[in-house]
Amino acid sequence: MMSLFFILITAPFFVGIILKVKAKFAARKLPSILQPFYDVARLFKKGAIYSTTTSFIFKIAPLVYFVSVLMAALFIPIGSLKGFLSFNADFVYFAYLLAFGKFMMIIAAMDTGSSFEGMGANREALYSMLIEPAFFILIASLALFTDNNSFYGLFLNLHISTNLSYILGLAAIYVLMYIAMIENSRSPIDDAKTHLELTMVHEVMVLDNSGFDLALIHIATWIKFSIYGTLISNFIIQNEWPLALQIGSFFFVQMAFAGVVGLLESFRARNKLEKNPQWIIMLSAIAIVLFLTTLIITQKIILY
Amino acid sequence: MILFLLKAVLILSLGLFFVPKNRKYFFTFSLHLALVVISSFLIFNTFNQVASLKFPFLSLLNNTIYIEIDKLSAFFMLVINFTCLTGIIYAKAYLEPYYKSKSSLEFALHYFSFLWLHIAMLFVVMFRDALAFLIVWEIMALTAFLLVIFENEKKETIKIGIQYLIQMHIAVVFIMIGFIWAYSQTGADFSFDGLSVYFESHNPLPLFLIFFIGFGIKAGFIPLHSWLPHAHPAAPTHVSAVMSGVIIKMGIYGILRVLTYIHHDLFNIGLFILISALVNGLIGVSLAIVQHDIKKLLAYHSIENIGIIGIGIGLGVIGLAINIPALTVLGFAGGILHILNHSLFKSLLFYTAGAVYTQTHTRNIEELGGLIKKMPKTALFFLIGALAICGLPPFNGFISEFLIYSGMFKALLSGNLQTDILLFFAISGLAIIGGLAIFCFTKVFSIVFLGTPRSDKVTHAKEASTSMILAYALIAITILLIGLLPVLFINPLIDIVSIFTKDTQAIQQAIPTLNSISISSGLFIVLIALFWLVRYWQQKRQNIRKDATWACAYTGANPAIHQYTATSYADNFVQISNQITNVKKEFKNFEEAEIFPKERTFQTHSSDKIEDYLIKTPTTFILNFLQKIGVFQTGKIQHYLLYAFAFIMMIFILTLLNLI
Amino acid sequence: MTYLFIILYAITLIYFALSERTKKFVWLLAIQGLILFGVVFFSLNKIDIFDFIFILLETIVVKTLVVPWFLNKVRKHNQLKREHEPYVPVFYSIIVVVIILIISFMLSNYLNDSQMHTQYFTIAFTSIIFGGYFIMIHKNLFSNVVGYLIIENGIFLLSLAVGSIMPIMVNLAILLDVFMGVLILGLFINRVGDTFKSVKTEHLSKLKD
Repeated sequence: MMSLFFILITAPFFVGIILKVKAKFAARKLPSILQPFYDVARLFKKGAIYSTTTSFIFKIAPLVYFVSVLMAALFIPIGSLKGFLSFNADFVYFAYLLAFGKFMMIIAAMDTGSSFEGMGANREALYSMLIEPAFFILIASLALFTDNNSFYGLFLNLHISTNLSYILGLAAIYVLMYIAMIENSRSPIDDAKTHLELTMVHEVMVLDNSGFDLALIHIATWIKFSIYGTLISNFIIQNEWPLALQIGSFFFVQMAFAGVVGLLESFRARNKLEKNPQWIIMLSAIAIVLFLTTLIITQKIILY
Repeated sequence: MILFLLKAVLILSLGLFFVPKNRKYFFTFSLHLALVVISSFLIFNTFNQVASLKFPFLSLLNNTIYIEIDKLSAFFMLVINFTCLTGIIYAKAYLEPYYKSKSSLEFALHYFSFLWLHIAMLFVVMFRDALAFLIVWEIMALTAFLLVIFENEKKETIKIGIQYLIQMHIAVVFIMIGFIWAYSQTGADFSFDGLSVYFESHNPLPLFLIFFIGFGIKAGFIPLHSWLPHAHPAAPTHVSAVMSGVIIKMGIYGILRVLTYIHHDLFNIGLFILISALVNGLIGVSLAIVQHDIKKLLAYHSIENIGIIGIGIGLGVIGLAINIPALTVLGFAGGILHILNHSLFKSLLFYTAGAVYTQTHTRNIEELGGLIKKMPKTALFFLIGALAICGLPPFNGFISEFLIYSGMFKALLSGNLQTDILLFFAISGLAIIGGLAIFCFTKVFSIVFLGTPRSDKVTHAKEASTSMILAYALIAITILLIGLLPVLFINPLIDIVSIFTKDTQAIQQAIPTLNSISISSGLFIVLIALFWLVRYWQQKRQNIRKDATWACAYTGANPAIHQYTATSYADNFVQISNQITNVKKEFKNFEEAEIFPKERTFQTHSSDKIEDYLIKTPTTFILNFLQKIGVFQTGKIQHYLLYAFAFIMMIFILTLLNLI
Repeated sequence: MTYLFIILYAITLIYFALSERTKKFVWLLAIQGLILFGVVFFSLNKIDIFDFIFILLETIVVKTLVVPWFLNKVRKHNQLKREHEPYVPVFYSIIVVVIILIISFMLSNYLNDSQMHTQYFTIAFTSIIFGGYFIMIHKNLFSNVVGYLIIENGIFLLSLAVGSIMPIMVNLAILLDVFMGVLILGLFINRVGDTFKSVKTEHLSKLKD
């Protein structure tokens, strides 16, 4: 239960920190870190407009998306704190739960009958399909490395001590970071600042949502970032440390993660849209290299 | 007593031809119900006792044919009964528009074939004797053929029906060869049990392959699948649902039954099944994405799901070979549960698609759209079917895929290098198949039901009739039941899997996990309801309006033309997979000198490469060749007499020269 | 520590499959040179100090600085920008690279030979096969030489694999190969480019007789 609490606390600050870092590097005036918080609070006070083309799917989709992300957060441990739910092979449930949320968002976007949103829905469907194997292969390598089958057990037994496991940790953090950026449709897949049909993936799917629904969608994005940040921080937090040190380093890693995302967004251009599928497959290829490394570490491949 | 009732049902079915037209449906329905009740009694008995049920059925010429039902057969009987029952409930409303145009005899034949299909399938899983098995298998194929050609005023349908019949007969030939080979090598019983004697002393792989080809044509394994995408659209909907839900599974039943007799040298067999199944899954779903005919799309999805079942079974066999009981048990359990799951959600999808077809008279999804406003209940049930087929929690597809994943992850930890590389391919394959299924079903659901209508075929659509909705509801309740409370179904599964291996500890360990899944899914639904209430409370005090779609304030376009179409949605994916989907674009370019261009057309067309190479090219070649020879068939008696005289002359001369 | 460099080398091969710009090819070659420097620094410890310094210098100077500088010069002179449309789409090339990697790992696992350092053999094998594949799919003369240099890197690693002592002879031979390759490239591109006005390999087939 505690881990859920911490994940939810760090969630609202994520987007704020990213925007602040980007503004700093672009030599612009810095918005307050709590700005997204104020935006969402404002949305909670507003009414909503529903399109006449849409049906009950459009009304129910943001709820399902939000609840799926919230439930996914229930599985993630922080160091030695267990998640609210934990069972064997729960990462499969995690991945498919997030996929359910995406499914509902995609059909809600197609529900409006607009070509813009259809475009976003189409791209989102393709990219999330391409990133699935990367996540599964990464988790399979970690499961193989720690000889354990659930998120909690995996991270409890993750001891990064030998040289080779450092590489494993670094590469896994690299892949997880990019998976987080793809899932939230930030660069280099998508440019969240511009509303050009050339580049939009996620932003364009939510054009017709307003009021409470839009607020829920924003909060879901924050929580998703927070979830991946927690997964990354689990690599750095060692389970032998005292609890206070674990929590402290957790906050530190979350802030660092947000900062690095901001840095990457400022300095890296967006991919040409046609090149996105091959770039995403490259992440799966790196995950496969990770898998092979794990096979070497666990002595299944014997090299002299 | 049971036997007597069974035989009575068989004989009463002949009475179908003599009942007046308006009573035919009621008569069929009651016979079906009787059959379900009788076989449920048998199923219940089988699951309650440890040994299998065995009693004599028929005695002909001093040979007794026994009915032998073990847990595997009982499971299949359950699947058959459920789908056939919902099929006949659905058929009432579906066949109503045909009431005037078809004669009494045609209806009688149709209902008779449906009943006998049900009976034949039940007997297929009950007989072990090879000759009896082949006879009822043949009856199954023939009745399916008669059902497929129901709409026989269209020439295409008859052609497709005959193609189906030919392929089924090729399958029967292979199965017969398998049995005869085993009999000739060992001289044991000419039945399934006789196979075990063969397998003990010879290498199992070649004979298994022969059986695999025979049963695989029925199941729809690639490259033997070419009848599937044609037969399903041509047949009436309740027949497609039964075909996709059950008849294909008879092929899987055959493969499983043969596997129960093989106890050594299993690794190659398991590897072969796994690789075929992965290919099936990937190619099936890729081809499904580019189809525009809704039933053809669902047919390709059946191929994909047969792939998922095959992955479960293949992993189970590999687990037996390398002695990892967790993999065996969970793999088989996942595969077998997926058989039930697939028949449920596939029949639901076919029924809803059939309702759409009845109302709009078109199967082309590019002409539909916005149907959710006219047929909300149908849309809701289609959505449930779509979510289930993508394997999303809390529906039933997730449970079977989860069992397979659990098995794979457990085996990953304890296997050696070869196993790990194999499991790596299987895990990434299953993940990709799941992602592609989501891609496909978001496309189908959105294009058919959401958005605005793309043509005027949608304007007269009305909601489906009550009997159809009853059929949907029955299936949807079962889907939700399996998805939310999987532990209810685990104990029968454990019994079935113990036919293959005795160490079922892994599933016992999985029961707490499945309980956690139920709790999580329940929590999921509760939270959705909670936030819905919160939103209701918040929106009550606010101003909620309805207006046109905003979409970045682009209001100048006609929404019917400027929405996403099915081709555009799939185009993204086609760019990376054109080798498999083979989409060709046909259009004429504008020339430079053409200052006032004339009208142009643009067509996209996808074809099945495997079918082209295996079936179309050879048959076109043979037909062309035969056409050239057909010159000799002039139709004039004078020429034929000439041929006869020429032949006699030739024989005479050759004898003179001592050549023959 | 050498495992780190091996994994990094495998990742550079994946990036080779992913990228399409000639500038990136040159950068990746320089990074590979750096990785090879690291490999040599951490693993060769049984030869004399002279040979050791020679090999270190060779990797750092030749592979990381001289050759990429020369290639850059050629690239700028002919204004080569990006590779137009390789024969096999990039999406499939990445899958091919991964399959080659998996095959070479499994191969070196089965070759349970304690005489050979299979850690280097794996990546050397991948490099050689991938270099050949690279030449096959690209249409540009420049990419031909880049592929050739990838093969040379692979042979360098192979010589590390078959002995922990690297004889000077093998090393000199490799250096010679590299020089010849780059020299021919320079000649080719400058002369051929001026004559044909392009560097596509299809034009080269006109030279056959």
